[in-house]
Amino acid sequence: MSLTLLSPLPTPDPTLFPSVCEPLEEAAAAEPADAAATFAFALGRLAAAKDARPVVLVTTGLWLRERGRPFARGLAGWGLGPERLIWIRAEREVEALWALEEALKSGAVAGGLASVEAPPFVATRRLDFAARAGGALGVLLRAGPTGDLSAARRRWRIKAGPSATHAYDPAAPGRVRLNAELVRRRDGPPGAWALEQDDETGRLRVVAGLAGHGLDETDRPFAAAASAAA
Amino acid sequence: MRPTARSQPQRPPPPEGAPFALVEKGVHGLTLHALNAAARGAGLWRGQAHADACAMLPRLISAPAEQARDLAALKRLALWAERFSPSVAIDTLTPGFEGLFLDMTGGAHLFGGEAAMLAELRGRLARAGVAVHVAMADTPAAAWALARFSGAAERVAPAGGLREALSGLPVEGLRLEAKALALLKKFGLKSIGDLYDLPRAGLARRFRGEIGFRVVERLDQALGFTPEPLDSERPAPSYRVWTPFAEPVIDMAGVGVHLPALAEALCGQLARDGRGARRLRLTGFRVDGRATLIEAALSAPAATPAHLIRLLREKGLDRLDLGFGIDALMLSAEKAEALDARQMEMDEAADAAPPQALAALIDRLQARLGESVVRRPSFKESWVPERSETWTPAGPQAPAPPERDDQRLRPILLFEAPEPVQTLAELPDGVPARFIWRRASRRVVKAEGPERLGAEWWALGARPQRTRDYYRVEDENGRRYWLYREGLYGREDADRAPSWWIAGVFA
Repeated sequence: MSLTLLSPLPTPDPTLFPSVCEPLEEAAAAEPADAAATFAFALGRLAAAKDARPVVLVTTGLWLRERGRPFARGLAGWGLGPERLIWIRAEREVEALWALEEALKSGAVAGGLASVEAPPFVATRRLDFAARAGGALGVLLRAGPTGDLSAARRRWRIKAGPSATHAYDPAAPGRVRLNAELVRRRDGPPGAWALEQDDETGRLRVVAGLAGHGLDETDRPFAAAASAAA
Repeated sequence: MRPTARSQPQRPPPPEGAPFALVEKGVHGLTLHALNAAARGAGLWRGQAHADACAMLPRLISAPAEQARDLAALKRLALWAERFSPSVAIDTLTPGFEGLFLDMTGGAHLFGGEAAMLAELRGRLARAGVAVHVAMADTPAAAWALARFSGAAERVAPAGGLREALSGLPVEGLRLEAKALALLKKFGLKSIGDLYDLPRAGLARRFRGEIGFRVVERLDQALGFTPEPLDSERPAPSYRVWTPFAEPVIDMAGVGVHLPALAEALCGQLARDGRGARRLRLTGFRVDGRATLIEAALSAPAATPAHLIRLLREKGLDRLDLGFGIDALMLSAEKAEALDARQMEMDEAADAAPPQALAALIDRLQARLGESVVRRPSFKESWVPERSETWTPAGPQAPAPPERDDQRLRPILLFEAPEPVQTLAELPDGVPARFIWRRASRRVVKAEGPERLGAEWWALGARPQRTRDYYRVEDENGRRYWLYREGLYGREDADRAPSWWIAGVFA
C-alpha cells in the first residue's frame, strides 16, 4: 500500500482495458489453434499506436510450416497497410530474437512482433531495452501459455471467441471477437476482456463498453452477457 | 557459408627434371595437352598423339588434364591480379597460351615504374610458387607476343618501340589460327618483322577467305593501328581504396584494424562525387597468389563509414580465408548510385531519418540473415490468392499497394501450399457441416460463401485448373478458416471428384 503512496503516477484503473501497448508485451495462445487470434491481437496492439513507421513481422521456420505466411491483403484489414509491412523469415529462434532486437532499437520501425518458443530471460530483457531505446513496441508471440521468466511488462493469454452476429446474414461470421486475459502485469492486477474488431478502423475495442456505439439490436444480448461474465 | 578448399586429392608432383605431360582425349585418342620443360626439350610438342610421344620418350610421365580446374585457377589468379589493376581480362583464346591481360594504363607508376611493377608481380607470384612470364607493351597484342616468345621472363617494350621489339618474334606471336600459320611459313614468312614490308593489300589477298584479313588485323592490333578492347573479367569498380601491408596480416583482428581507414577513404571518394555505395566488396590479397573476398549489398546508397564497417562485420569478416596471410586489403564500391541530397531538418529530434534508418536496418538484417530473408509484399494481378501476392526481398522503396483494391475479407495467414481437409456436408455442393483438418474434427457453426474464383485459363499450365469456391467458416470455438472446394460437381472434370482444401486462417 505504501507503494501506491510513493508513486507519483495515479494507479491505473484495473477494470479498464490497457489499450496502450507497453514497450514489450507477450501474447500467448490459450490453445495452439488460437495462434491466428493471438497474431491478430498482437497486430492490433502494434497498429493502435499512432505511428506511421513500418512494422516488422518476424517468423521462424517452425511458424511458417505450422501456421502459414502473413497475407498482406488480410493484414490490411487490421490497420497495417502493405507499405508498412516488413516480413523477416528467420529460420531459427536465435535469429528471430536478434532480428527483432535490431529492428526495435534501430528507431526505424514503429514496432515488431516475433514468434518464439522459449526465449531466454536475458533475451527478453534485451528486447525491452531495445524497444525503449528505439521508441518502438515489441510483442512476443508464444505458442502456448507458459510460466517462465520474461521481461515483458504485460503477458496476455488470447482465446478466439464466437464472432458477433452478422448484420445482414445470421448464418455468416460477423465481427471478429476474441478473449484477452491479462495474466500478469507490472502495473496492476490481472484482468480479462472480450474484444472485437471495429469495422471502420480495423482495431480492437472492448465489447462490453459499447452500448449505443454502433452495435445493433442483435448484438446487445451478447454484449450484456460478456460484461456480466467479465 | 565459409568457402572451403575443395578436398580433391592432390596429384603428387612429378619428379624434378623428369619429362611430364598432361594428356586429354582427342578425336583420335589421347593427345598431349601441356608439357613441362624437360618434355619439350626431348622434342615433344603440344597436340602430339600420346602414343607417338611414348614411342619417342618411353619414360614420359603423364596424367589427365583437368581444364575446368585450370580455368578456375586462372580465375583465382585474375582476382589476385586486381591488386595491380582494376581491369583484368582472362585470355583463353589460344589453347596452350592462356594468360591474363592487365590494363595498366596510367597505373604503373604506383608500383615504381613499369619494370619495377613487372618485377614485383613476378616476384610475388614466384614466392607463391607460380612461375610466370610477364611483358608490358603499348598494345595487348604486343604484350601477349613478348610475354610468350621473347624468351625473357620480364620484358618491357619501350613506348614507341613496338616495331623493333616485335620484329624478331616468330609469327606465332600474332595469335593466328593453325591454317594461317602454316601458310605464312610456306611463304617463308617466319618472323613478324618479315610482314612489315609486304604490301598490305597483297598480304590480305594472298590467302583464301578471311585468313588474309585476319593476319593484317592481328598485325595492326599488335602495332597499335587497330584498337583491341579487353573484356575484363569483372567491371572495374568506380570507387576503390586499398592499403598494402609491410608484413602479411594473418588474423581477423589485423583486418579489423585496417578497415576503418579504408572505409573512411572510400566514403571520402564517394562523398566527393555525391554518391553512395550499393554493393561493397572487401578483397584480401593473399601472399600465395590468391585473393579472398566478402561482399555486402545495401538496400539504399550509403556513404557513412560506420554503416559500411558494421555491414561488413555483420556479413562476417571471418568469412575471409586469410590462408598464410594477406599483404594487401582493398575495399571497393562495386556499384554506386547518386546519394539524394537531404536537407537538414530545423528540428534535429525530428531528424531521426526514418528512410535512412530503415535502409540501414534492412542492410544489417540482410547482411546477417541473407538477402531473401527480409521481405516486403508485392502484388500481382491475379485472383488466385496464393499467386496474387508474393513477398520479395526488400529494396529501398516501399511496395506499391495492390491495384485492385477489393474490400473482401481475406485471411491474415495463408498456407504456402493449401492443405487438404476432409469434409462432411449435407449437400454435395454446399457448405460442409464438419471438416477434419490436421486430424482434428471441427463443427462448422457459421459460414459465408461461396466466393467463386474461376481457373485462370490464360495462364498455361498454371494451377488451379478448376473452379474454386471459397467459404469463410467459423467453428464451434470461434476460430475462422478459409476453406475452398476445387471443382464443380458434375460439370468439371467428371473423372476427378471435387476436393476440399484449407487456404488460410482468419483471426
